Amino acid sequence: MTTIIQDNKSPFSSKFLQFYKDRTLLAILLSLFAVMFVYGIFFTENYLTITNFKAIIRDAALYGIMAIGLTFVTLSGNFFLLSLKETASICGVTFAMGMATGFGSPDLVGNFLVSLLAALSVGVLSGVIQGYFVGMGGNPIVVTLGGAGILYGIGAWWSDNLVINFKRPHDAEWLGTGSFLGLPSITLAFILIAIAAELVLRHTNFGRKVYLVGANKAAGRATGHENFSMAIIVFTICSVCCAFVAVAFVAQMDSAQSNYFSAEFGSSGDMTILVIATVMVGGNSIMGGYGSTLRTSLGAIFIAMVDNMMVLQGFNSGPRIVGVGLMIVFSIIVFGLFAKGSRAQE
Amino acid sequence: MENFFKKVTKDVDLSFAILLSFCVYVFFSLNIEIFFSHNISFAILERFAVLGLVGLALTICIIAGEIDLSIGSNAALCAVIVVKLTDPLGAPFAMLIGLSVSTLIGAIQGFVIAFIRIRAIVITVGTLMLLRGVALLIAEEKTVMLTDFRVPDFITTKVLMYFSPASLTVIFIFICVGIFMRYTKYGREIYAIGGARKEALTAGIPLRRPMVIAFALSGFCAGFAGTVIGLKSGTAQGLGLQYLLLAGTVAAFVGGVSILGGKGGVLGAAIGALTVNFLNTGLVFYALQVHFVQLFTSVLLVIVIVFQTMSRVFDSRQSRKSLLATIDERKTTLLEKKRTVLGK
Repeated sequence: MTTIIQDNKSPFSSKFLQFYKDRTLLAILLSLFAVMFVYGIFFTENYLTITNFKAIIRDAALYGIMAIGLTFVTLSGNFFLLSLKETASICGVTFAMGMATGFGSPDLVGNFLVSLLAALSVGVLSGVIQGYFVGMGGNPIVVTLGGAGILYGIGAWWSDNLVINFKRPHDAEWLGTGSFLGLPSITLAFILIAIAAELVLRHTNFGRKVYLVGANKAAGRATGHENFSMAIIVFTICSVCCAFVAVAFVAQMDSAQSNYFSAEFGSSGDMTILVIATVMVGGNSIMGGYGSTLRTSLGAIFIAMVDNMMVLQGFNSGPRIVGVGLMIVFSIIVFGLFAKGSRAQE
Repeated sequence: MENFFKKVTKDVDLSFAILLSFCVYVFFSLNIEIFFSHNISFAILERFAVLGLVGLALTICIIAGEIDLSIGSNAALCAVIVVKLTDPLGAPFAMLIGLSVSTLIGAIQGFVIAFIRIRAIVITVGTLMLLRGVALLIAEEKTVMLTDFRVPDFITTKVLMYFSPASLTVIFIFICVGIFMRYTKYGREIYAIGGARKEALTAGIPLRRPMVIAFALSGFCAGFAGTVIGLKSGTAQGLGLQYLLLAGTVAAFVGGVSILGGKGGVLGAAIGALTVNFLNTGLVFYALQVHFVQLFTSVLLVIVIVFQTMSRVFDSRQSRKSLLATIDERKTTLLEKKRTVLGK
């Protein structure tokens, strides 16, 4: 013990300095980015107001919830789903169908609980099926790419690719546009889900298993924790999160269409990629076993902050997507360089 | 006959691909009267010019053991650049610029992957978004259009009944890439790092060179696909062409690549792309909406994945069985030896 302390007197700072000595370019880039960010915070009008901050968290909430669900998948070493927006869209269509038509029975029209349950069960079903294929040994990327096409196709087929409307005084308003204690309910849900997910990952048996299977599949198998059941569970969690976001979004818009989450959604032009970006910007290891949902939530808020700043500065969608894209690539390279030489890489 | 059977079992996935494409073609030929005609063959080859290239791009990446998700964005970027520059500079020069940008992007991606040693899906998700933003930026969030339509007319003229300049060029690219992948040292290196990366690195193959070459090739193919689409329609959008990823993946997997890498080839990519083209062209006659095409393409992908996973599971079971059998054999011989020794 003493010898180690003699060797480097303050291990942290010397390691830190060594890191920056080795990677001057990286250090310059990092500080440049920090300077730009601070400059943006202070020189954007109306940026440092409470209203704006609430708006930022509300923006972050929608894809933050989905990203928290995706974090489970990433942590368990199953990369990510490419079918996030399609799952959300089919669940949204289900929910709107329930609110507008009651699935054919007039008693159920506008019944919030039945519609919610239907949407959630569609989410569970799609998660279980995709998780089953992945658990059997399929590659998550390819399986969910195929799943995306099928889910979108079914959703569009069912809704005839039309917008499904339902009239305004409905039971779901409290979720879509209502607020508690001065906070929009979707923001509250985001905070609650983030706390719950963090507690589950840190303090339950299941949460520790997720880390174990993600960090070392072989060790997991040897100790009796197969990736098969794990894949099904994490995919279901992620799909249910998508379903919940879809329900909240549809309740806010009073309508649903199978294209709602595709095309141009928010800052990214693509919901799926934005959610994956959130997980990555938070610095979770994409190989699994390292990261947390807290990082993901912070990543969501960070992306929303940068995007909001660019909106207030009057940028178009092109530069905004470039900004978010640069952020992702940059954070991947930075975290990759940090992890280089450690066990986290392949 | 035995020879034929041997050939089939040697490469099960390729045989399955040929069988599948044959089935799809025969199905549509029987159901649609004009499907088996010169004009439809020309149309299929025209589609092949785009989809085949994307399938080829993904095939090369998957052979190297990685997957490139940024193909759609790369194609869109190249399409925007080419369409935008064709008016002031002329088509050949615009194509040169667009293709070199795409190839360079691919090469940079490959370099980053080999240098930091991360998985390609990680970095290509980032570049997917980044390149899309760049394409939007260059197009100024509008649809870029050609004013002079001589170029689109030229590349879609009929040559030799079935071909057009576009599809002929694409077939030429296929042959070149096929020869490169099969008979050159650099091509074999790509197979090596895909099939058995640790062994290849231990044997002295550098990771950086094959990775850069594979991703540069895939970037070139994606860019060329974007160029063909852009010049054929005369328009390009920053947000378009994302459907290429699904179609290309289906083509690659139908063509018999394995997600584990090191397997498959250019011939398979061509057959896979043709299968997807048969399906797409056939569905046109039923006047279905776009989402049905996506649905059926995905179903095709799922069928192929299930087949591949099942054959992999079957193979591993088979090898385990044979292993157990050999162990049993050795045991019995040992026992017999023991018995004879003890008997003496």
